[in-house]
Amino acid sequence: MSRRPKDPLLVDVEGHAECLLGNEAIVRGALEAGLAFASGYPGTPSSEISDSFARLAGSAKLVFEYSINEKIALETAFGASLAGARAMCAMKHLGLMYAGDPLSTIPYIGPVGGLVIVSAGDPSCRTSPNEQDQRLLAPMLHIPVLDPSTPEEAYRMAIFAFDLSEQSRLPVLLRPTTRVCHSRAVIRYGRLRSPVVTGFVRDPLRFVPIPANARRLRIELGKKVETARRLIESSAFVSATGGGELAILASGAPAATCADLLEELNLTDKLRLVTLGAVYPLPEEKLLALLDGVRRVLVVEELSPFVEDALGALLKHRGLSLELLGKRSGHLPVEFEYTPEIIQRAIQTGLGLGREVPKQPSFQLAPARPPSLCPGCPHRPAQFALRAVFGDEGLYFNDIGCYTLGYGPPLNTADALLSMGAAFTLAAGVARVTGRRTVGIMGDSTFFHSGMPALLEAVRQDADIVAVVLDNHVTGMTGFQESPTVERIGDEFRRNVTISSVAKVLGASHVETVDPYDLPATIAAFERARAAQGVSVVVCERTCPVHLARETKAPRPTTVYQVDPLRCRICSREECGMRCGQEVDLGFESFMARGRVLEIDKSAGNLPGQAPCSLSCPLGLCIQGYIGHIASGNYQAALEEIVRRVPLPESVCRVCHRPCEAACVRTAVDEPLAVNDLKRFVVDWAAKNMPAYDPERDDPCGMRVAIVGAGPSGLAAAHDLCLRGYAVTLYDAEEKPGGILRYGIPGYRLPGQALDRDIDRIINLGVRFEGNRRMGRDFSCASLLEQGFQAVYLALGAGHGLPLEIEGAGAAGNPEMVDALDFLRQIESRSVPSRVVVVGGGNAAMDAARSARRLGAGKVVVAYRRDRDEMPAIADEIDASLSEGVELATRLVPVRLEPGRLVCLRTEPGETDASGRRRPVPIEGSEIELPADLVIAAIGQRPEFEEPGFDQTPGGLVQVENIFLQTSNERVFAGGDLVPGERTVTSAVACGQRAGWAIDRRLRGEQIADRRPPPPPPGDGRRWTRPGIDRADHLPRVRPEELAGEKRLEGFDEVVSVLSEGQARAEASRCLSCGTCGNCRACLDLFGCPAFFEKDGLAAIDPGLCNGCGVCAELCPNGAIHSVVAPGMEPGS
Amino acid sequence: MSAARLKLLVVGVGGQGVLTAARLLGEAAMKAGLDVSVGQLHGMSQRGGAVECSVIIGGAKSSYVAAGQADIVLALEPLEALRALPMMSKRTRVVVNLGKIVPYSLAIQGKDYPSIAGILAGVEETASRPYTIDGSGLTEQVGLPRALNVVMLGALAGLGLLPFADEILWQTIEKKIPERFAAANRNAFELGRGATEGKQG
Repeated sequence: MSRRPKDPLLVDVEGHAECLLGNEAIVRGALEAGLAFASGYPGTPSSEISDSFARLAGSAKLVFEYSINEKIALETAFGASLAGARAMCAMKHLGLMYAGDPLSTIPYIGPVGGLVIVSAGDPSCRTSPNEQDQRLLAPMLHIPVLDPSTPEEAYRMAIFAFDLSEQSRLPVLLRPTTRVCHSRAVIRYGRLRSPVVTGFVRDPLRFVPIPANARRLRIELGKKVETARRLIESSAFVSATGGGELAILASGAPAATCADLLEELNLTDKLRLVTLGAVYPLPEEKLLALLDGVRRVLVVEELSPFVEDALGALLKHRGLSLELLGKRSGHLPVEFEYTPEIIQRAIQTGLGLGREVPKQPSFQLAPARPPSLCPGCPHRPAQFALRAVFGDEGLYFNDIGCYTLGYGPPLNTADALLSMGAAFTLAAGVARVTGRRTVGIMGDSTFFHSGMPALLEAVRQDADIVAVVLDNHVTGMTGFQESPTVERIGDEFRRNVTISSVAKVLGASHVETVDPYDLPATIAAFERARAAQGVSVVVCERTCPVHLARETKAPRPTTVYQVDPLRCRICSREECGMRCGQEVDLGFESFMARGRVLEIDKSAGNLPGQAPCSLSCPLGLCIQGYIGHIASGNYQAALEEIVRRVPLPESVCRVCHRPCEAACVRTAVDEPLAVNDLKRFVVDWAAKNMPAYDPERDDPCGMRVAIVGAGPSGLAAAHDLCLRGYAVTLYDAEEKPGGILRYGIPGYRLPGQALDRDIDRIINLGVRFEGNRRMGRDFSCASLLEQGFQAVYLALGAGHGLPLEIEGAGAAGNPEMVDALDFLRQIESRSVPSRVVVVGGGNAAMDAARSARRLGAGKVVVAYRRDRDEMPAIADEIDASLSEGVELATRLVPVRLEPGRLVCLRTEPGETDASGRRRPVPIEGSEIELPADLVIAAIGQRPEFEEPGFDQTPGGLVQVENIFLQTSNERVFAGGDLVPGERTVTSAVACGQRAGWAIDRRLRGEQIADRRPPPPPPGDGRRWTRPGIDRADHLPRVRPEELAGEKRLEGFDEVVSVLSEGQARAEASRCLSCGTCGNCRACLDLFGCPAFFEKDGLAAIDPGLCNGCGVCAELCPNGAIHSVVAPGMEPGS
Repeated sequence: MSAARLKLLVVGVGGQGVLTAARLLGEAAMKAGLDVSVGQLHGMSQRGGAVECSVIIGGAKSSYVAAGQADIVLALEPLEALRALPMMSKRTRVVVNLGKIVPYSLAIQGKDYPSIAGILAGVEETASRPYTIDGSGLTEQVGLPRALNVVMLGALAGLGLLPFADEILWQTIEKKIPERFAAANRNAFELGRGATEGKQG
């Protein structure tokens, strides 16, 4: 049976050599001194001390604990000391301050068994928020301090310190710095000594420092310090080499550097090097003896001029003169670690010895390689989720641990940091004076160290904070020391304390625990926390994967993740040539990533494609794009996307029929996004903030195009052709351009000023507008072509109402009958009687009805032959008209006019007709009389177009080929309401753009025309489904203010107002970002997992670094990341 | 300067085994009866940060290597070789593993990793023509993806500058690895040695 090799620190052979770290050497020294108890709290650069004790405790018959914090570590060690056990307590410099209270009283009481406190210093703040010279505590608290310069010296000091402590009855501070802690040197062993515990012997006059006892103990302190001084004077830790009148007095790590430097500079014999290892109490006699004959001394020590000042005071007190150089004389810096160069320079300038430090040539700067959270670290998704919820406006208070690496991009979750546990207290302090809800972030070990009282205080004060505890079951940053939450017993992990229970016991009522790998759940928990008041506690719990791998010895994941280069940065509108190529900012990427995370049930395999809203949009807008920019506060980018595709933004954002909203997937959750209101917000912002419209235009091509009809379609075509470099003449029968936008849609829907802004923008491109020119009367297609126009676009619209042919029309004494379009055209100059009936169910009917109300009609009834839900008018228009007092009478068909009334018959649904609706069948004998003095007919519209040579439908519409809008005359194109198809403003605008492209294609060929592609024919976005989406949080749709009921009828002022900025951003964040994006770098910009890199402009993952956590796949907006078997893990490999 | 003192720097990225390599070198020197000082300041290294270790063989009290004072630089990663340029001078011999690890901060900023050819040229200009090692190729050859540091220690041995026998270094390594990996690690050591022994940089 082979014996397990002994731990190198436990070899009990005199003279055995090991190459030990300074920290390990200290442990060895303590064991050789018969250490019985050790405690500590991890803290760089001291952690290896406690780690070694932890490893050895069983074999070395040592009682050891990783204490919850340094105060407890010190107090417990002192308890052991009072019971006659030699005790050691280890921590970093900050920890000593934490243990300050007991530290200040221990010297009064004094140890029984020797007590050695090791507090490691960190000059240059390599791993700390400050550097401190703990030696300065010595005179304040009457504690001897040993300052080792090498690992070997630290070993001998550890042994000596216990005797020093017991004989002087004072605790001893052993203070190595990073250079000593983390350097290795050959240590030759002595023999181990078994620990001895003499037991607790009562001594209340000494052990209980009530004030009377304390005062007596205070007087004894002086003698104790003198005892320590004598022991130090006779120790080996004050020594000198060399000789002469010039000297260096050095303590700590710099003493070793000096020794090496003097050898290299051949100065070992030319001056005296006095090494002071025990710096308090100062061994005055020995020191002065060693400096006898010296006329100038350079004091070399790091941090404060502690020894320098003590020597200066000593010299003054003794009346000795000796030139003293050091920090006070400016020869050495006060801050940071001393490199050999710094000391060499001081020797040369202060002592005139040695040589100048050669000037460093300048070198190419190597890019920084800062530490980062490991791949798969749960702190990354936790802090990503925090940022996704609280955004740029959040105030994040961070703490000490691995998660501190959330500072800076990409996670940006540290606005301030102070000390262990201060995340909650800082957060509370800020919250209490500003009234803002703040966020505090700390780890599990930190929570137990000092976060608990902070949480208790926050609860007591009902502070408005979100207290986040990142529980990864280990103290990771300092080297995976155990944490109170989970303990390893043999091969099992056992839970000890759950943080959520502690939080509840401390009085927090809103406490949740989530798994940070479950990003949607984590985001949802933070959203609930953000919405709450008072203290909310969210515990993000998942074992550190590195710790888990180390413990379970299963280092390689079997599944890793991969980026599909065909989906990464792919624009779903690439094929129609509409990739925007815009730069996106972090807010936009966060918006997309968040939307993707919230898509519930990604397992259903429903990958993002083209968003249903964009799919439905006749103009092919990237709606997700501009909504994302609004969410991110980048209104200019939103405007760019809108203006790119919408030549009449003011009009469209008011009167569009919004197929996008009908297709929005949020309809399954709460309400669709207010897409058009958001568009209006941007357009309104632009009108106030943006300079004049100056789009990129092609050079003039010398060709001319005539457009007949200055309605939405004609205007859009004019705009498009101008950008393409054509000279455009725009004709219209009316005096001003606008078509149905001006003469059909009333001002309360589309104010004249807004329309004029749209039209001026287009005319100012150089369009020649000729009003009062009617096709047929003033010109014809043929005449236009003869005049030299290379092409003609017909956009006359369908501006004539279908006549209502019923009995009694036009007869004297009967109610006036007027066509709705004529009525609307005459709005400004006409009056209405008090009783009006509007026949019809489309937008023209609604416009007429609502206008009639504004003109003073007391009773306006809309009579429609089918049911309400079959009315073709925009639903919001119907709602608005009803709220304005219009009455709706359904299932009525007019039959004749009689004095003062319109007689109708009731109908019932019959067979289904071509439109898919059931034909209304009049019911014999069911006559109804509607009182009326004016009847407005809004039963349909048709064009008036009588040019010869064109194929037309029976209804007068001009037949065109779908894609190229070409009529039967190859140089004449037509679109909008003039041709068969959807009768909406937006699709008319789309037609105009398509016509511009088609004409350009015809005249200059594909290559040139396709540089400005037309909007794609819209698909039916309503067929899009999103499984499981009904589990998303319900958020109501934000609605803009509207004019109050009574005010509306006072005139034709615009009814619907614009969203405020706050409303717009809130509404924009409801968007789930359903489509893919070609501009995304969310994984690199927001997540920052070090397994990611960029390759050929796309994201990629190094399978050797990937941990397989899969969180990146949750947030990739394009769904481009998926799991694969890790290389080398395939079955059979 | 003391003739007996050999100052080495081992540099690389946290997780590559830089600390272990430095430690093994220190133990080997001790085994050979020499005094040694190893500096391995660490704390955040394992979070993918840059690591620098010093090994001073022969009687130094501190573990500092001052600027321009390195006799040998073992760079387990090219960017870290660049970062160590100020420590080199004309007498410095340099071994560089060519496998790069892009700092995540460069990756997320979309900035380029410096050209490796440029780095090697910089080393040659400041010090001497470096020996280059195809670390990932060699570790793949022996079937031990994590044995880069053993390859590099082999390369160090091959320089012929260590004041003790290569075997002592190998034995120190061998003591630290499970027996079943001993043969493969020995291959790694030999492959590393073969890359430098008897060769110019």
